[in-house]
Amino acid sequence: MRNIRRNPDIIWREEEEAREEAVKAMERGDDASGEGTALLVESGMMHQLNLLGGEIWKLLDGIDEEALVDRLAEVFDVDRETLSRDVRDFLIDIDRRGWLVHE
Amino acid sequence: MSRIPFSPITINWTLTFRCNFNCRHCYSRPEKAPELPTEQVKEIMAKVAKYKVPFINYGGGEPLLRSDLFELTGYAAALGFNVSMNTNGFLMTEEKAALAKESGFKTVGVSIDSTRPEAHDDFRNTKGSHNKAVSAAKFLKDKGVRLTISSVICRINYTEFEDLVRQARDLGAEQISLHNYKCAGMGFTNRDELDLSPAEWKEFYLKAIALREKVTDIRISMDDPITATIHKAPEQAIVKGSTCGKLSLNIRANGDVTPCGFIPVVIGNLLTDDLKDLWDNSKVLEKMRNKKPKEKCLTCKHYEDCLGGCTARAYATTGDFNSPDPHCWVAK
Ligand code: SF4
Ligand code: SF4
Repeated sequence: MRNIRRNPDIIWREEEEAREEAVKAMERGDDASGEGTALLVESGMMHQLNLLGGEIWKLLDGIDEEALVDRLAEVFDVDRETLSRDVRDFLIDIDRRGWLVHE
Repeated sequence: MSRIPFSPITINWTLTFRCNFNCRHCYSRPEKAPELPTEQVKEIMAKVAKYKVPFINYGGGEPLLRSDLFELTGYAAALGFNVSMNTNGFLMTEEKAALAKESGFKTVGVSIDSTRPEAHDDFRNTKGSHNKAVSAAKFLKDKGVRLTISSVICRINYTEFEDLVRQARDLGAEQISLHNYKCAGMGFTNRDELDLSPAEWKEFYLKAIALREKVTDIRISMDDPITATIHKAPEQAIVKGSTCGKLSLNIRANGDVTPCGFIPVVIGNLLTDDLKDLWDNSKVLEKMRNKKPKEKCLTCKHYEDCLGGCTARAYATTGDFNSPDPHCWVAK
């Protein structure tokens, strides 16, 4: 399986305070999908990722999809099938935007 | 985004208020502040880097007048900043363009306000400045520096913006920023002569937004909250209204911090104050982030997206952040 990386032209940072809030909300069982836990700037446009997106994004250092899901399963308490599907959807979406590099 | 980012995304930094030009719209000509020496600028850069601010943009004054410009940029780039600047281009040479590349500038913006050299030269009060700006753009492109062009929209060019876009594209720019006219400094003094009426702003933005949607080979950037009345902010806009004090801050030549270059309200100084402390606790920033509708904004259906438009213009003309933007074309 091919390894995936973030497109190096995208400038990004983790929003530490928002991430902490999102993690707390998730642990309480609340919906945290509205919190932007990572900010990305691409061609002058700013985007934000929610907790799942942000966690995936951070791990895209040349990792294959299977290993990525393994790592995320340590953080997200959902069944493997749902997690794999969400990860796949997210990767397809950001790949379409040109945010990924495949090795 | 439901919350303000934990620190600014962009710091606009005036390294010097000195300039070799005397432009008719310039916000910074009346400004005077002592300039920090190299070591103190670096000290502030290191403090700002702690909070992971991704972008630094040097504004004016003219950055090329600082003899330590490339040294500072190299230092900032090594700290992880993405550094850019706005220059009038007059002092750019082939050697300096090479230094810009080497020191780590991510992009350089050159100001060109007309395709007609005599109109640009007259606006910028400097003969030959159009020629020099065009050469600067070419030097930068030749050395592999990513180029943007900045144009201040005003009476001399608002009907010619399509030519400005064409010129920027021909110069190989990846973006043209059509800056809205600010009533600050000389811009305030020359407002009657250079600023557009609200109806003219509306006409300009309707056409410019239509062009932006059509054009694919160059980005057209127009960062003006008043356009929320014409189109919904793109879904990825993470804050509404003015971005200053929410996504960006401004540092003056002496280290003073203001919400934006056009709002002369000092909230601290980074030689002594902590950036994060100012960002989180400044009463001025709090007011800008929590504007209250006033006068015609009270009943306006666009308020949620527009938030009263440009806070700097409102403040410059009325002394109140909450006043409606003087460029607003919505009837009372
Ligand atoms: S607008 Fe820029 S180039 Fe013109 S006088 Fe002001 S700082 Fe100098
Ligand atoms: S009335 Fe106020 S809220 Fe409405 S468009 Fe004008 S400035 Fe914006």
